[in-house]
Amino acid sequence: MPPPPPVFRARGLDKSYRLGGTTVRALAGVDLEVDAGEALFVAGPSGSGKSTLLHLLGTLDRPDAGALELDGTDVGPLGERERTLLRRHRLGFVFQDFHLVPVLSALENVEVPLWIAGVPRRDRRRRAEAALAAVGLGDRLAHRPDALSGGERQRVAIARALVHEPRAVLADEPTGNLDSATAAAIVELLLALRRERGTTLVVATHDPALLARAPRLLTLRDGRVVADERAPEAW
Amino acid sequence: MNVFALGWRNLARNRRRTALSLAIVACGTAALVVTAGFVRFSFDGLREAMIHGGLGHLEVAAEEEVERRGVVALDRSPSAALEGWEALRGELERLPHVDAVGANLHLLGLVRRADGAAVSFVGLGVEPDRELRMAFPTKLRSGRGLAATPPAPGDEPVLLAAGLARSLGAAPGDTVTLLMARADGMLNAMDARVTGIYTTGVAELDTRMLKLPLASAARLAETSRVSNLVVALDDTSRTAEVAAAVRRALAARGDALVVTPWSARAPFYEQVRGLYTGIFRFLGTIVALLVVLAASNTLVMTVFERLRELGTLRAIGTTPGQIAALLFAEAGELGLAGGALGALAGWAAVGGINALGLRLPAPPGAVEEIDLELALVPEAFVGAVVLMVAVLLVAAIVPILRATRIAVVDALGHV
Repeated sequence: MPPPPPVFRARGLDKSYRLGGTTVRALAGVDLEVDAGEALFVAGPSGSGKSTLLHLLGTLDRPDAGALELDGTDVGPLGERERTLLRRHRLGFVFQDFHLVPVLSALENVEVPLWIAGVPRRDRRRRAEAALAAVGLGDRLAHRPDALSGGERQRVAIARALVHEPRAVLADEPTGNLDSATAAAIVELLLALRRERGTTLVVATHDPALLARAPRLLTLRDGRVVADERAPEAW
Repeated sequence: MNVFALGWRNLARNRRRTALSLAIVACGTAALVVTAGFVRFSFDGLREAMIHGGLGHLEVAAEEEVERRGVVALDRSPSAALEGWEALRGELERLPHVDAVGANLHLLGLVRRADGAAVSFVGLGVEPDRELRMAFPTKLRSGRGLAATPPAPGDEPVLLAAGLARSLGAAPGDTVTLLMARADGMLNAMDARVTGIYTTGVAELDTRMLKLPLASAARLAETSRVSNLVVALDDTSRTAEVAAAVRRALAARGDALVVTPWSARAPFYEQVRGLYTGIFRFLGTIVALLVVLAASNTLVMTVFERLRELGTLRAIGTTPGQIAALLFAEAGELGLAGGALGALAGWAAVGGINALGLRLPAPPGAVEEIDLELALVPEAFVGAVVLMVAVLLVAAIVPILRATRIAVVDALGHV
């Protein structure tokens, strides 16, 4: 029986942007495989291509060249609607600025991925409550984002990313707006949830304290992979 | 959580801007409601003025005469078909919703004062008691009206319309001579005492019209026949229903008579109605366009400020269709709330304007000012609110296209 395909398999990913009158090559032929349940931290200075790589892995953008498979499916030929549905069911996202809907409570924010997928109200409420409890916010269900601290908001965002049990969670600078203690707690939480649920985790960050705890560290510079290291101890 | 509940919450997010949008929509709605009230007031006023100015709700006339002169002719020859009109009238007055049936005798001739020039006239022999029951008011300018009881031969009263009296230089108390040709071509003359000066309400008609009791008119024309019967109802909306009943009655009698509703005899009413309806639609289009422009601008700003949030929703798997549904719900709710507020404001404005007791100048061709009493038109309230919802949905199209067409990564990076 052949081994299951990696969650992400990228071959020769290339992406350039026009900035003013010049073309900036954000990614230059990136090859990458991320297995199910793996936790990959992507490091590199600003402009190295971390966010671009996450956007491509998350099917939020298309590469200029190269191929990407998600769970063995080539996403290149997929149309916008198919990519949207793929994100809805197989991926979760955590952003640096949390990106919560300000008019919704914590519980309702976590319900959103289930709501758009047409999950019945009672079921989605139960699952959202469980997700918030898992991130330690079982007592903050009715609070709106503006009534939560930065760390709590990011926990809500993590719960939202996990509530529909995706194959992978992509987190772009998830601790960028948090103090160091809260940042450490958030990373602990992400890693713990990954361990419990077996969810694949891809985190882009340039926080050295977090990178020191990376089970697998991919370093980018000028759009190229300059290092791909695995920690000796599995997290 | 559903798109409508989320829509309301998003509208409450920027209360000042939402209030401004609501005010724009409400003003547009109120303007439509008030304008519709004015248009309905005009239609109703003109209709009732024509009906109670002498047309009646229904006319019963000789078929041959109507075919020869057309339904809109103001005067008709005395007809043999209406020879036994009193019996027919009795039968018609027993029909439901009939207030009264009046007989008219139309006359054409010359009128002159003893020491003055002759002026041609269009005369109307009427039954004053029936006119009273039919609420056909005689608008007296001076003197007094015709007595309810038929005058004795040799004591013939006449009312002159104001323009005709001016041409003759006649005043109440004067005696005038009426001359007209009989059916056999002989000329008949009759002295009549001017009891009063009245107005028909229409300046042109005032230069020619006079009124006298039916008995006096019959003596002048030397006929026992009448020109037509005019039927007045207790409710204009019953016209078609009673017309059918009158036709059945006529058919049973076998008379060669036809029934004509007031609307067929008043093409002017339909022309005015068409004109006003056109103006109302034009105004409605202008209001709708203004609301579209104003609301579209507001909705564009709303979407622009929320691009990153909408990008996040797209990122986590919300389809462009779902985003569009959410934004359409917000726009529709804005239209509904603004329309409802505008309907309330319009209702209050109609009441307020009516309470002021304003009078409008006489319309073209008319001689009397009109009491302004705007109507409350239920269908205008519903229609204006529905129109505002539709207008807001249209106004949302451009912002929605913008929100759904922007690349997700661009939306996420939007600040």
